[in-house]
Amino acid sequence: MEKKGPKPKIPIDMKLVLSFFVGFLGCLSIHSQRILLVNGHLHPIVGNEISFSLIEIEDGEIIGIKNALSENYDPTLWDTVIDASGQHIYPGLVAPNSTLGLTEIDAVRASIDFREVGEFNPHVRSQIAFNAESKVLQTVKTNGVLLVQATPRGGIISGTSSVMKSGGWNWEDATLQKDDGIHVHWPATLYGGGWWLDPVERKNQGHYLADVQKLRDFFQLAKGYSENKKRVFDQRLEAMLDCFSGNKRVYFHANDIQQISDVIAFSEAFGLPFPVIVGGEEAYLLGKRLADSKIPVMLNRLHRLPEREEDPTDLPYRLPSMLKEQGVLFCLQNTGDMEAMNARNIPFLAGTAMAYGLTELEALKSITLWPCQIMGIDHRFGSIEVGKSATLIVSKGSILDMKSHQITTIILDGKVESTLNFQEENYLKYQKKYLQKNK
Amino acid sequence: MKGFKRCFALLFFLKVGFIFSQLSPSNGVPASSMNQIAITNVDVYVRPDLKVENATILIENGKIKNVGKLLFIPDGYAVYNREGFTVLPAFVELNTDLGVEKARPTYTGGMPQLESKKFGDYYWNESIHPEVNAVSILSSQDQGLQNLSSLGFGFALTHQSDGIVRGSGPLVALGPLTKSEQIIASNAAMFYSFEKGVSNQTYPSSLMGSIALLRQAFYDLRYFSSNRSAALGKQSMEPWAQSVDKPSFFHATSKWDILRANKIAYEFSMPFIYFATGEEYSILDELKRNNVKLVAPINFPQPFDISDPYEARNIPISALKHWELAPFNLRLLSESEIPTAITSRGTSHDTFWKNIRKMIALGTNQSTILAALTTTPASFIGMDSLLGSLEKGKWASFSLYGRDPFYYETTLYENWSFGKNSSVKSIPASDILGRYHLNFKHHKYELIVEGDEWNPKAKLAVYKDVFDEIKNIYKKDSLFIPTTFKIKESDVIMQFANPDSTDQIFMLHGKINMKGRIWEGDVIDPQGNWGHWSAIRKVPKRDSVQPIKNASVTIPERWFPNMAYGKPTLESNTPIVFENVTLWTNEMEGIIPSGYVAVENGVISYVGRDKPNYPKGAKVIDGKGMHLTSGIIDEHSHIAIERGVNEGGQVVAAEVNIGDVIFPEDISIYRQLAGGVTAAQLLHGSADVIGGQSGLIKLKWGKMPEEMKIQGAPGFIKCALGENVKQSNWGDNNVVRFPQSRMGVEQVFYDAFYRAKAYRKEWDNYLSQNLNGANKSKAPRVDLELEVLNQILDSKRFITCHSYVQSEINMLMKLADSLRFRVNTFTHILEGYKVADKMREHGVGGSTFADWWAYKFEVNDAIPQNAAMMQKQGVTVAINSDDAEMGRRLNQEAAKTIKYGGMSEVEAWKMVTLNPAKLLHLDHRMGSLKVGKDADLVLWSTNPLSIEAKVVYTFIDGELFYSMEQDAVLQKANQIEKTRLLSKMGEQPVSTEPRQKFLKKPKRFYHCNTLGEEGAETENTH
Repeated sequence: MEKKGPKPKIPIDMKLVLSFFVGFLGCLSIHSQRILLVNGHLHPIVGNEISFSLIEIEDGEIIGIKNALSENYDPTLWDTVIDASGQHIYPGLVAPNSTLGLTEIDAVRASIDFREVGEFNPHVRSQIAFNAESKVLQTVKTNGVLLVQATPRGGIISGTSSVMKSGGWNWEDATLQKDDGIHVHWPATLYGGGWWLDPVERKNQGHYLADVQKLRDFFQLAKGYSENKKRVFDQRLEAMLDCFSGNKRVYFHANDIQQISDVIAFSEAFGLPFPVIVGGEEAYLLGKRLADSKIPVMLNRLHRLPEREEDPTDLPYRLPSMLKEQGVLFCLQNTGDMEAMNARNIPFLAGTAMAYGLTELEALKSITLWPCQIMGIDHRFGSIEVGKSATLIVSKGSILDMKSHQITTIILDGKVESTLNFQEENYLKYQKKYLQKNK
Repeated sequence: MKGFKRCFALLFFLKVGFIFSQLSPSNGVPASSMNQIAITNVDVYVRPDLKVENATILIENGKIKNVGKLLFIPDGYAVYNREGFTVLPAFVELNTDLGVEKARPTYTGGMPQLESKKFGDYYWNESIHPEVNAVSILSSQDQGLQNLSSLGFGFALTHQSDGIVRGSGPLVALGPLTKSEQIIASNAAMFYSFEKGVSNQTYPSSLMGSIALLRQAFYDLRYFSSNRSAALGKQSMEPWAQSVDKPSFFHATSKWDILRANKIAYEFSMPFIYFATGEEYSILDELKRNNVKLVAPINFPQPFDISDPYEARNIPISALKHWELAPFNLRLLSESEIPTAITSRGTSHDTFWKNIRKMIALGTNQSTILAALTTTPASFIGMDSLLGSLEKGKWASFSLYGRDPFYYETTLYENWSFGKNSSVKSIPASDILGRYHLNFKHHKYELIVEGDEWNPKAKLAVYKDVFDEIKNIYKKDSLFIPTTFKIKESDVIMQFANPDSTDQIFMLHGKINMKGRIWEGDVIDPQGNWGHWSAIRKVPKRDSVQPIKNASVTIPERWFPNMAYGKPTLESNTPIVFENVTLWTNEMEGIIPSGYVAVENGVISYVGRDKPNYPKGAKVIDGKGMHLTSGIIDEHSHIAIERGVNEGGQVVAAEVNIGDVIFPEDISIYRQLAGGVTAAQLLHGSADVIGGQSGLIKLKWGKMPEEMKIQGAPGFIKCALGENVKQSNWGDNNVVRFPQSRMGVEQVFYDAFYRAKAYRKEWDNYLSQNLNGANKSKAPRVDLELEVLNQILDSKRFITCHSYVQSEINMLMKLADSLRFRVNTFTHILEGYKVADKMREHGVGGSTFADWWAYKFEVNDAIPQNAAMMQKQGVTVAINSDDAEMGRRLNQEAAKTIKYGGMSEVEAWKMVTLNPAKLLHLDHRMGSLKVGKDADLVLWSTNPLSIEAKVVYTFIDGELFYSMEQDAVLQKANQIEKTRLLSKMGEQPVSTEPRQKFLKKPKRFYHCNTLGEEGAETENTH
């Protein structure tokens, strides 16, 4: 006897119909200005959950949130009405610190656009290399990840990131926040070269202080430049100006305790208005200092192995709840092996954080509101509130669990997007092949 | 044990009577030599368990004539009085390459070198060079080699430390000998290892490749012995055949190498003596079972620099525990009666004796240590009748120490080699250290002689009454006057200033008499007057130094495994009953919402809704609200593998076996237990068209490699297609190995299997002969690779094939059809959904990822619905990890098949349990809750497919290997142990022992495409 659980299976015909329907809506959306979502279970992130909600959208903005049990609605007043009965509505999910859109196939060099030559490249910008039509991006979007911080890699300052939509006609169209911050890779403190059975000293061993000095020198130069009224234009230093004025975040990629401790001191010394720790694997050891200095953390992929043999096996899973307890603002991100394609698993990282100590709401915040706060776009994104951008997803069940995550509707900055991707299309194509063959 | 019966024949060409031989012409009358010597008044270690005090040693013609107390010294003996000295037999160093030329590679260019570049008829692989005889490239006067004698060594077996079959080496006597005297035996032993060395030939590139190559070479040697004309490289094989019966030493790079090599030792009746690593204390029982002989190092790790807590926290417990336990290695080995010699290799002049005394202080018997330096190594090379002790008739080779070096810091003064003396440090006239009363004229001083015995320093102490102004009293104060002090033979020369008037100088010269106690001589005072002086020793220094105590030190706790999450003892196997638990049976019964499972003798004895009779002494586990499943089986894993997951050196490497290189101390094992994994197929990587054989293990954390292997499991082998075998992502240099295209891959398969068939035919012909004796033709050569390929053709070994695109998948099925075997499993198989119908027809299963793609070109068409789609077409489908991290979340990966493709929960769960069991032909034993199956059970906190599911218990064969509550206990134990070890390390004064900086090892894990012995550091492409 098999267990009679909820049937997540969508009958094939239904699915085809559904996808055509959504595709149709996608075409309509160009003209559609007034959308109403009806009867969905709303997880607004800010404010109370509503089991039967009405969400009113006009010109890409949420203009009203109501309780369907107490309010009536007139479908004729709306260009599009989407029935979300029995389903869950969440804000669009966020993929901070990502190479999405900048890479297609990891092993094909020609498809990689996230790494430049040189050590200090704040002037290098990801925005214009972002491929809004990336196939990988498409598969991530259809799992509900609608906002991407396209981030360069490599060097000491790898470049300037931008916050993008996970789809659009072109990069210009996809841009949400141009040049939101620069990414500094804090020098490594403790390294062994060779390999794990036979470690030998690596060249930079013991060069930590010198490496930090190098970085400090660069910031000194940039700060001097920013304060010099008679400055002669310098392309590289020009890109640093906003870091001191507060218009750009400074994302420090740092993981171990020494690095994080030094980043805190560094940020204070330079009076940086918006420093952010990216990685933060040992941030839990410095929670109080981070909370006091209001430095947020973008936590590394939770689905990774602990660093040391004696670390608790679930240490990475427990980091979010540990930071929460210490009052540190944080969000989840997904950097690591095959990070672009893996970004579609971001909701499950939050699910893990929930299983290991966060409440469901906190887990949702860690992939919606909090990353938007950290990146400075929370006035428009990160929650479902009146006045914010209509960037939301509808799922048949909880998005935090693989078993129930099933996206049926995507609205990205007011536009209804297709839930189909090429993988789904291939699936349907071969399903048809076998149906015909087996007849 | 059969193979070990053979004793070593003593085949050395010993130079008997070489002391008199004078075959080379000499310049003038030959140097005179002394042939009869007596050394008197010494304390002698005649052998490890016998010390004779105040004895005389009689030497005749380089040999010991007698040792004893009050011996009569016959006429004609030259007498050396060495009163107070201690004599030890010359040590025997077995593990050194000192004096021998270093090996050089034949090729150092950038392109892959597939073939040997040696000129001459040598073995095809450059790392097999039995023809190297270190004696022909030895410089016996090498300073490094001769320096061994300053540690007390008199004999050294030296060799060239390079390659897998390293060649033979001579036994060398150290000391001031003629060149012909130095070489005792030019071909004393053979040397082996699993290290490829300087050879740049691509094969072997992994530990398992080295193992396979060494075995093949032994088979080839065996074949050569009966077929001298075989084209196997005469210039290598002939010298090897001549020395193969010599004592054979095997250089182990890890302690596990000893167990690995010993399997080869049994296979070829070829007992090895192992150059060990110093970590053998952690696998004593297994070594004892293996009946091994060891040569262990005493280069104990230095304590770490723990001054910075940020850095100290990174030092793993395993490294700290090794630091504490390493000095106990010899003691533990000897208590387990494992014959062990020790080597000075890895120690310096400063640490060798220091470490020996450390071992004594930690409870190792002095006689054990001396035996490990003398009689044991001598017996290992069959020389114990001539050296290793100072018994009658043995060679008079020994060292003279100022005091007993086992208990006192002292100096080695003389080495005697075959009765010839060579001074290491000049002997002071006598032991003169101490405090003296110095008298002359009206002066009386105290003279303090201290420091080195052979280079002492002195100072004068003058006692004066000094007025203390604070306390208003007089008190004694001592004043030291620096003194120039020189000893010349038995003369002493001193100079010091007049304590009462510093610009005045006294100059003294005198003789040291009466064993150092009384000195006397002449002095010139500042006025230029001659006088007489004398000094009498009041306190000799010798008596004020305490010997090192052989304390009864408790041996620190060893864990299994000896690292974090290890335990002092493993759980015992008791019956278990799970009550009131939701059962995921994977059988007809489906999910039973509340039922019972009983376990006896490691096997499931009951599954059902009703309460069974509880076995006696059963541990009862209330599973209310929880879910019990059979353990997860990872069909594609690369954890727990040592030194290389790919043998990428050859495109067909069927001879290598992952089962040979299982590494039980990989923390991934424990972490995966915490994710509910109980069994895994450890696969060879995907660098080769036909790769290595698999290791099928259960994750028995803390057990030995052989205990982890699934007994009776069928054989599997990895094959691979596509980008990895055609080296698409290996950089621009890797364009020479065939194949470079999918076209070539097919032909590599055909070539391999055609060769296998021809090989089979040759053997069949040979075996079908009915002739006897001389008429019977000789047995063909054994080829390990072709043996394995024939197992595939006979459907006795099953293929798991790495595959991505539909063209290559289809090709291999057609190829298998044409050769009449079945491909068992396609792994990765990301385009399986395109040819699922063909797969069902062929009868092949699929083992895939839940949602990976986009990491290389050939996975561009991958879809996450692949698993579900193949399953619906009737293919047996498993979800695997190929990844140490994902391996512990396979339950979640299975759940993704519900999201992508709409599998039911029951079918989704089978993807990580029953289906992989089927693919591995182990479903009669694993994969479901069924009476009679192995009790590999996991209790989950909730529905195992849920993101919130956590493992509460993991049992394997009914034995508990992980539990949530025990995990908490072990975490605490880790913390306590680490703190204890760090504070113990902190107690050691920094001044006495240098500290090592902790170097963090790069965190690397094996994936399919990981090459060489290294793990992948960054991105990988599977």
